[in-house]
Formats: sequence, C-alpha cells, structure tokens
Amino acid sequence: MLTRSAHLSRRTLLAGAAAAAAATSLPRVGGAQAAAIRLGTLNPLTGSGGSYGPSMRKAMEWVAQEVNAAGGVLGRQVQLFSEDDQTNPEPAVRAARKLIDVDKVAAIMGTWASAVTTAVAPLCWESKTFLTTVSGSDTITQLPHQGYLIRTQPNTHLQIGKLGEFLVSLKVKRVFTLAAQTPFAVPSQKRLAEILPKGGAETVGSVIYDKDKTTFRSEVDQALRAKPDMIYLNGYTPDCTILMKELFKAGYTGAKVAQGYAVNAKLLGSLPNEVTDGTYTATPSPSVESAGYKRLAKVLGTDDLDPYSCQCHDHISLVLLAIAHGKGEATGTTIKDHVRNISQGNGVKVDSAVEGLKLLAQGKAINYEGASGPCDFTESGDILDCKIKFEQAQGGKFKFVKLI
Amino acid sequence: MDNYLVAMATFACLYALLALGLNLVWGMAGMINLGLVGFFGFGAYVSALATRRGGAPITAGVLLALVLTAVAGAIMALITARLRGDYLAIITLGFSEVVRLVASNEIWLTNGTDGISGIPGPWRGRVTPETFNLIFLAVAAVVVVLVLAVLQRVRHSPYGRVLRAIRDDDQVAAVAGKHVIRFKVEAFAVSAGVLGVAGALWAHYTSFIAPDVFVPLLTIYIVLALTAGGTGNNWGAVVGAFLVVFFLEGTRFITAVVPGLGAVQVAALREGLIGVSLLVILRLRPSGLLPERLPRVAS
Amino acid sequence: MSVPLDEVAQLVLNGLVAGTMLAVPAIGFTAIYAVLRFPNFSLASHVTIGAFAGYVANAAGGWPAWAAVVVAFVVAGAAGVVTDQVVLRPLRPAGALTTAIGAVALTIVLENVVRFGFGNDLRGYELPIRRDWQWAAVRIGPQQVENLVIAVVAMVAVFAFLAFTRTGKAMRAVADDPTLAGLKGIDAERVARLTNFGAMGLAGVGGVLLGLDTTIDPLTGFRVILSVFAAAVVGGLGSIPGAVVGALTIGVAEELSLLSLAPAYRTAVGFVAILLVLTLRPRGLLGERAY
Repeated sequence: MLTRSAHLSRRTLLAGAAAAAAATSLPRVGGAQAAAIRLGTLNPLTGSGGSYGPSMRKAMEWVAQEVNAAGGVLGRQVQLFSEDDQTNPEPAVRAARKLIDVDKVAAIMGTWASAVTTAVAPLCWESKTFLTTVSGSDTITQLPHQGYLIRTQPNTHLQIGKLGEFLVSLKVKRVFTLAAQTPFAVPSQKRLAEILPKGGAETVGSVIYDKDKTTFRSEVDQALRAKPDMIYLNGYTPDCTILMKELFKAGYTGAKVAQGYAVNAKLLGSLPNEVTDGTYTATPSPSVESAGYKRLAKVLGTDDLDPYSCQCHDHISLVLLAIAHGKGEATGTTIKDHVRNISQGNGVKVDSAVEGLKLLAQGKAINYEGASGPCDFTESGDILDCKIKFEQAQGGKFKFVKLI
Repeated sequence: MDNYLVAMATFACLYALLALGLNLVWGMAGMINLGLVGFFGFGAYVSALATRRGGAPITAGVLLALVLTAVAGAIMALITARLRGDYLAIITLGFSEVVRLVASNEIWLTNGTDGISGIPGPWRGRVTPETFNLIFLAVAAVVVVLVLAVLQRVRHSPYGRVLRAIRDDDQVAAVAGKHVIRFKVEAFAVSAGVLGVAGALWAHYTSFIAPDVFVPLLTIYIVLALTAGGTGNNWGAVVGAFLVVFFLEGTRFITAVVPGLGAVQVAALREGLIGVSLLVILRLRPSGLLPERLPRVAS
Repeated sequence: MSVPLDEVAQLVLNGLVAGTMLAVPAIGFTAIYAVLRFPNFSLASHVTIGAFAGYVANAAGGWPAWAAVVVAFVVAGAAGVVTDQVVLRPLRPAGALTTAIGAVALTIVLENVVRFGFGNDLRGYELPIRRDWQWAAVRIGPQQVENLVIAVVAMVAVFAFLAFTRTGKAMRAVADDPTLAGLKGIDAERVARLTNFGAMGLAGVGGVLLGLDTTIDPLTGFRVILSVFAAAVVGGLGSIPGAVVGALTIGVAEELSLLSLAPAYRTAVGFVAILLVLTLRPRGLLGERAY
C-alpha cells in the first residue's frame, strides 16, 4: 500500500505537470488563469505517526486528481508538493521552509503531531501561508495565528467532555486513566475530573507513562491497586496493544475505554478476541453516511477509515473551495478570508470539492460538509462541534453503541 | 528560494557551533561527548525559560545558557575525568536521555511535550520574516566567527598544546606535571558552554522548542560533520557542518526520484546513508577533509 | 508514607525477572569489552536483529519459542562476526574511541536495514496470551517464568563454556593479558571472532526474550541499551559475573524507583546508577579494572 502511494504521488505530479503544461499552451485569458495552484502536504510518513501519514497523503492526492480531471479550479490545475515531517519538529521546520520558499505553496496541509504543528505554525503565519492540521492539543488554536490556521480535530475539551458524558451514561463509578506522555494527558485528566462528578462518578487516579517503553507491568499494577471499574487507555496503538495484553494477563475484568485512533481494527486483528472484547472506543464521527466518506473508503481500500485521512480529504477540499470562492487567487490570505464562506452558513450542502466547484461556478453559495464531520469553524480555527461515535469491540469487530 | 537558502545557511551555522564545541573536547582533548544533544537542549530550555517566563532580554538568556550549560558540563566531566573515555561515552549518552525525560515530564517547568512556543527573537515581529531571517543569519555567522577565533587562539596557545598532549597520551602529560583533570574539566565545560549557546540561538531562531527536537540522531549528524570536515581542525568543523546540512537537504530532493520505494524505506535509506557515510569516512579518511595541521613549534 | 509489603514484593519480583532478561545482553557487552577492549555500542542493533530473526522464525515460520531463541542466537551471532570483520576490525588500529564511534554508526545502519525490511510497525510473536499466576498479592506471568528459565540456561551455558572448554579458557586468557596469551600460542583473532559470535548471539537472545514478553520494532534494541550499559558498568566492565549482578541490581532498582518516581523516569535510574558507581566505586561491584 505504501508503494502504491509513492506511485500515485509521482503519477499525480506528472499528471498535474502535464496538465499544467497543456494548460499553459492554451491561449491565455487573463495572465494568472493558467498557472497551477501550488499546495503543500506535510505528513508523518516516518516516525511515531508513520502509520497514518501515507494514507493522509493519499487522500489529498486523490482529491487533487479528481478536481484536475474535472477541469481544475477555474481552469487552473492543482499541483501538490509533498514532504515527510518525520513526526519531529526539527526536520518538519526544514521541510516547511522548503515548501514555503522553494515550492511557494499557498497552503500546508495535514500536520499530525502537536509539536510539529506548533513548530511549523509561526513559519506559516509569518509568510501568510495557510495551515490545516489534525493535531488535537488545545494550545494550538491559542497561538497568535491571525486566522492562518484551522484544525478539523476536536480539541481535548470537546472530546473528553463527551467521553465523560458517555462514561456517566454507563453508570461507572471509579475511572482510572493510563495515559501516554503527550500534551493532552494532563488536560484530559483535568476535564474528566470536572465532568465525572456531575454523574456520580469519580477519577481514582492516573499514571502517565513514556510511550516508548515496551513493558508496563508496574503501571498496570498501580492501576489495579486503585480498584477501578473503568480504565481509560489514553495512548496510541503500540502502547495500547501492550496495555491490553497486560491488563488481560493481570486478570482485570472491569471495563476499558480508549480513543478510536488507538484501539482500531488493526489492533483488534492483532490480539485475540478474549483480550479485546468489551472495550469501548470513542471516535469523532466521520459522516459515515456521506458520499464523500464512501468514495474515500473505496479509494483507500478500507471500510474503517481513520479520522486523519478523512480530515485531510476535507483539508484540501476546503482549501480548493476557498480559492475558488476568492476568484482563483491562490494565496494563503485568500484562503484565510474565504474558507468560512464555503465551510458553513446557509448555502447548498455539498460533500465533494468537485460538486462544490461546479456550484460556485454557477454563482451559488455552498456549505461544505466533510467526510470527517460538518467542518464548521470558530474564529480561532477550532471546529464548532463534532459528534463522537461510541462503539464496543465484540468478537473482533466494532458494534455501534451511541452517538453523542 | 533565497529565503530557503538563508534558512539552511542559518541551520548550518548552528550545526557548525555544535561541531566546534565537539571539536574542543574530542578533536583537541580526546574526550568523547555522545550526549551533545542533551547540552544543546539544556541551553535551549534555559534561554527559552529565561526569556519567555522570566522576561529577560535575549542576550541575557543566551549568556545564562552559556554559563549554566558550562556548569553542567563541568559536573559531568568532574565525575568521569579520571576514567577511560569509554565511561565518558556511556555517561554522556545517558545524560542526553535524562535531559529529554526531564523536559518531557516536568510540565510545571518545561511545559512537557507541548513545548515552549513564542520564544522571542531579535526584532521578530518588527521586521518582515525575510529580514528577520537575514538578521539572524548574520547573528549566527558572527557567533560562529567569534567562537572560531577563540578556539583557534586556544589551539595555537600553550593551553592548546597541553590539550593535544592529553589527547595523545594523558599519562605522559601527567608525568610532565600538567594537572590533567583540571584541563579536561575546563575543556569540557567550555565545550558545553558553546553547545548551550547553540541551543539558545536555536530556540530564538525557531521560536519553539520541545523535547522531540533533541534526538540522539542529531549527535550523530554532528559527529559526522566533524569527522568529515576534519577532527582537530576548527575550520574542518565549520566545513563539515555545511556539508552535512547540504547532504541532509540534498537527499530530500534525490529521494523524490527514487522509484518503487515506500516512504518508510526512503526514510530508512536516508538515515542509513548517514551511518554509512560516517563509516566510510572513518575507514578511508579518518582525518577528514581538512586534516589537522599542527601549528609549528618555534624551534 | 508506609508502603505495603506486598507492593514491594511485587516490584522486587518484577525487577528480578527484568534483571535476568537484562543480564543476557549485558554479558555480551561486557565480554566484548573484556576481550576486545572497547564498548561495542552496536550491541543495540544486534538485539533488534535477534528479536526480528526470532519473529520471522516464530510468526512466519510457526516455530516454537525455544527454536526462535536458537535462530536468534545464530543469526545475531553471525551478524556480529560479519560486521566486526568488515566494519569494526579495520578501525581498531585507529584506537578504541574511533572504533566506538564506528560502532555507533554501525548500529544506525543496521537498525535502518531492519526498518527497510520490516517497516516501523510493532510486531508481536505468535504466542497464546495466558493469564498470570497469582500467589497472595504477587503475580507472575507464565511467559516470564519461561523467559527466566531461558535466561538462566543461557548464563549457565556461558559460565560452563568459559570455565571448562579450551576455547573458553583461551578467551579468559586473552581478556586477562593479550600479550601473554599471544606468547602461549593463542590466536587472538580467532578468539575475537568467537567472542563476537557469542556476545552478539547473546544480544540476539536478549531481543527474543523482549519479543516474547512484549512487542518489537526497529527501536527495540536502542531502548534497552542504556540499561544494558548500566548493568555492565555497575557490575564492573569486563566482568561477566559482574554483568549478572549488575543486571539484577539495575532491574530491581528500576522497579523500586516506582515507589517514588513517575514511571516515565525509569530509564533515568540506569543513568543515575552509572553516575553513583563511577563516583563511589568506579570499578563496579565485581570489576577489577577501572583505569
């Protein structure tokens, strides 16, 4: 699948380049019309986010291809420049510099790790390049980005608030958190401690572990000593895999809940059912019924799309629609000024960039509803609201429980 | 494109400072510092916290980084100065790991994995980004020239001769009456100070630091820079640093052309090439591009 | 703060198990130091190589755990000999420091070779996941007991080899005094090759033990390396019994540190232990040389 992605990338670039060349040989109508629209993707192709980056990039390449095949944005082809941020701020900054200064992109899309996003953001707003991210850390939208940043991932406050609501609805009493050392470990715990008492539950403790360790026996011991009836696994797939094994070995029979990006289909497949059965998961609800989601699922070859690929699909769609709304000027400032005109409001609901571009060309107003959710943004760049889907692992598969 | 080149040149200057620091202890005094990224990070955090939390001016932050990192280096060397270089290697490896752990976990102090953002830079916000980058390149270059000048003086001085003697055979140096421990600790402290300054400059340039930035691989880049440029030769350190940045960025453009490989494999190839380059240089031209030219002793 | 006895008992038990597993690669590291006189940092990647060799044998080939251990020993040992001959031996004339740096570069190359072939994803061995055994307030896993047995068998084999076989005695002679050994007709190069094979083989076994207990990825070796160094240094660089004692000490110390430190700081314990040992008793618990 990785190899296919590399081929797709080169094909897309070649196709884009060929189309751009063809377009520039046509008689020009107004100077800038035929020049390609240059956009950058900066994803974790390696490093700890490496299992998500390739499909995030593929989702964006696919949208670009579709748009180009349908005639581009106001006659201009889309050209993507892709870099690997290695899930590390230092190479990410160098890669962003190259995208901004050498490739002169109007937007950088798809940064994943919070530290990467925080490092790259100043480069973007200083150079008036638009940044779209899937990072969830609360502090990101609090940066002085002057509007050059939006994120499609619900922030910790929103996510954990809904998680707390769900746990209360399950009537649990004692919740213990096992969290990986990340920016959202402490804010999550604080938010849970706020929400749970309203429903008669309480947090009975938490342990923050170094996610690069491969054994967590003592952390599990600590958790079990607090006699919880619900354990919240706030980490990533690799450490959650080990933790679930350890909890099973230690004879824990209570309930478990985790984020859907951690306890996903891959994890269920790698562990025996008796270890995973009964685990609840929380996922920002991709609009599973939307045509956009369905088409993307077919392209990426899986029914269980990860939220990041859905969000990246929406990133590039929003960017292209904003450029179209701004009469084809492909700059970060145009995107910043026009993105909310097409992402929310009273226009016709569309779920694909191609459809949206067609309607915009006819002078109609649109409201883009993405594969990852309604994609409506606040002034600071956060999403207004997002439904969280709660499921439970049964027999190696996820069964829907509730939508909050 | 120009802004990109200016930025890469700035990174190369910072790498050059790191290589100069390494040269002082390794090239000139024969002590190895495998944890130089830890001192780099230490200096960065000191200056970031001093300016961001303490409200100190940037120059004060950088000077504080210089002093405190030097002290940390002195302590490290005091503990291990009597022992074989291998112990120093092991200890310094551990040191950088501990710095990373403390930075990640002591959230009250360092903001943990969220990092520290909004670190002030000289005239940042009051000039255009391009101008800021140019100004900073000038600042970094000036610092490199200063450190280079100081270290060259050291090299040509009697002090430098003692260091070289210690590097070549510290038992002979001891017999000759030189207080070996004192020299080693001083050299290590000064070197750590230089590394700390590089870290502080980094923080003020990029305006954001997090524990994730300071990975052991960076140490390897600098070791490569020094080995390639010429161990023992200060100009070699600077040349080597520019070569490494050129190499790192160059592979980015090349790997876009290599067919049939997945992203992970491309990354593995890039990283593996760093290791291979170092081995090849160690094997074929261990003295590096600019070999150490011993200053002529007055006869 | 009164600490319940059963909590301490569990930590000590966890520590002893972890320590025994740590002892295996620690012996390898210290043996190379004793015979070849330099810290071979490429041990980290040989742990990874062993872990993946065992994985291929077990998950892909369907072989049982003990067979995976043997495969790991052979593959990692062979890799150790080959890399030493090709990469490190030509660097030896340049001194121990250059060789040590070369070993660091080598470990990066080998780790990325593994990454090239297997990618970054975590992999687990194909083993049934069994519940732990519980007595009173302590628990221990059946897999850990198995690992304990494997580790102990490996150590006994090493001791027997060194004490009773001719080659083993030759190794000890070279470690004690290479010039004298040379005079007695012992081929130092042959001893070096055998030491590399055995030591890196042990590193590989260490990797398999990690894989059997948890999961593996290309960074597996790199993560344990600081604890391995700590074990060897605490026990006394160059002393094999020292490596065992040091490993057990580090294992237990890392676990007991949880009583007062956050779990994330566990690796720091190794570092602090090294610092303490080097300040107070540089030759380690059982070592003879510290120069």
